[in-house]
Amino acid sequence: MRSATRIGIVMGAALLAAAPVWAHHAFAAEFDGKKPVKLEGTVTKMEWINPHAWIHIDVKDADGKVTNWMVECGTPNTLLRRGVNKNSVTAGMAIVVDGYQAKDGSNRANGRDVTFPDGKKVFLGNTGTGAPGDAPEK
Amino acid sequence: MKLQCALVSVLAASMCAGQGLTAKKAWTPLRTANGQPDLQGVWTNATITPLERPADLAAKPFFTPSEAAAYEKQVVENANVDRRRSDVTTDVGLAYNEAWWDRGTHVVKTLRTSLIVDPADGKLPALTPEGERRAAALAERRRLHPADGPEDRGLTERCILWPTAGPPMMPSVYNNNYQIFQGPEYVAIMVEMIHDVRIIPLDTRPHLPSGVRQWLGDSRGHWEGNTLVVDTTNFTDKTKFRGSSENLHLTERFTRTDPDTILYEYTVNDPATWTKPWTAQITMTKSASRVYEYACHEGNYGMMGILAGARAEETSSANAGAK
Repeated sequence: MRSATRIGIVMGAALLAAAPVWAHHAFAAEFDGKKPVKLEGTVTKMEWINPHAWIHIDVKDADGKVTNWMVECGTPNTLLRRGVNKNSVTAGMAIVVDGYQAKDGSNRANGRDVTFPDGKKVFLGNTGTGAPGDAPEK
Repeated sequence: MKLQCALVSVLAASMCAGQGLTAKKAWTPLRTANGQPDLQGVWTNATITPLERPADLAAKPFFTPSEAAAYEKQVVENANVDRRRSDVTTDVGLAYNEAWWDRGTHVVKTLRTSLIVDPADGKLPALTPEGERRAAALAERRRLHPADGPEDRGLTERCILWPTAGPPMMPSVYNNNYQIFQGPEYVAIMVEMIHDVRIIPLDTRPHLPSGVRQWLGDSRGHWEGNTLVVDTTNFTDKTKFRGSSENLHLTERFTRTDPDTILYEYTVNDPATWTKPWTAQITMTKSASRVYEYACHEGNYGMMGILAGARAEETSSANAGAK
């Protein structure tokens, strides 16, 4: 166990260096950290397009007024490898988006966290689940 | 597990012993119909091994298998973006749920702690004064003109190039997939990220005239034993691999070390940018996946959103100034 302890100490700063890198574009340039939004709505469509997929949802406010929002997600290629396809997110599904609104104030947000109303993740899967693009398990 | 460890120890031992980068193994490389070593198929270079060796691993060029496993576990947990960050700027930058990312979960099969193998400290060499000036000028331009128009944004956001798509080919956050095709006179590498195909002639024709510049440079290949060596010059001055100049001279080496592995190595020689050449090494793993199209212009709403955001911030600043 001695080596395990040593590696634990050794890797402190290494982990900082391994922070995630940016996606295709700078999300912090597009979305506003000062405008967090929580959108509970119904999917109207999902655009399976590159470089980023977009989910469109209708969100009803307290007065019953419905507004359509666009939610930016990641590259669809990865999802496809994880077994998610166009039948996985369909019109009529209730979802919750916890993200940030576009800087220009339009009804666009990033899909920082996309869940079902019960809190379960819409996009299951994680790196290391044995997705085909992942390196083989040791 | 045993098989993997055996592979690792063979690769690591051969490199530790300074026997060069071709694994000395009793494995007869597969051949194509015309007798070339067979590199064909789909490969992934996803890995969590960083380009440069982290400072606290300075004295440790290789992990042991158990250290590698511990490192992998910690890095993957640390990187998981499903865990929200308290700093909102970071939180926004993490973009979306973990399921969309595909950074890989393992270190390279050699168990090296950095992709850079030369210099021996695993670090990029120092920039030349010219390299520093160029980097500073670019940073200043981006500070003054972050998003006046699309041309101010990086090549990635403009769907022109991805800095990892190559050459040289580097692991990235997703789409780390490559398909290699071989004919008697050409090798073609289809890269999922940004979906370019690089065509590499294997004859002895000279490089393009120096006045002809290409985003992916101009590649020429030849075989040295079982290794495909690819020499690339004629980059544009906008390609800028990690700040390189247009006179970047890149040498890549592809060696299939077993049915599931290509040892990929590249050397960057650019005296206008770095004080000495440097070399990185990545293991590419055979993949059962296929390469999907990454049609980046298909729906690049992000560019519109970034420019609209910049205009909104200008209006907001102007209004604040007028009060």
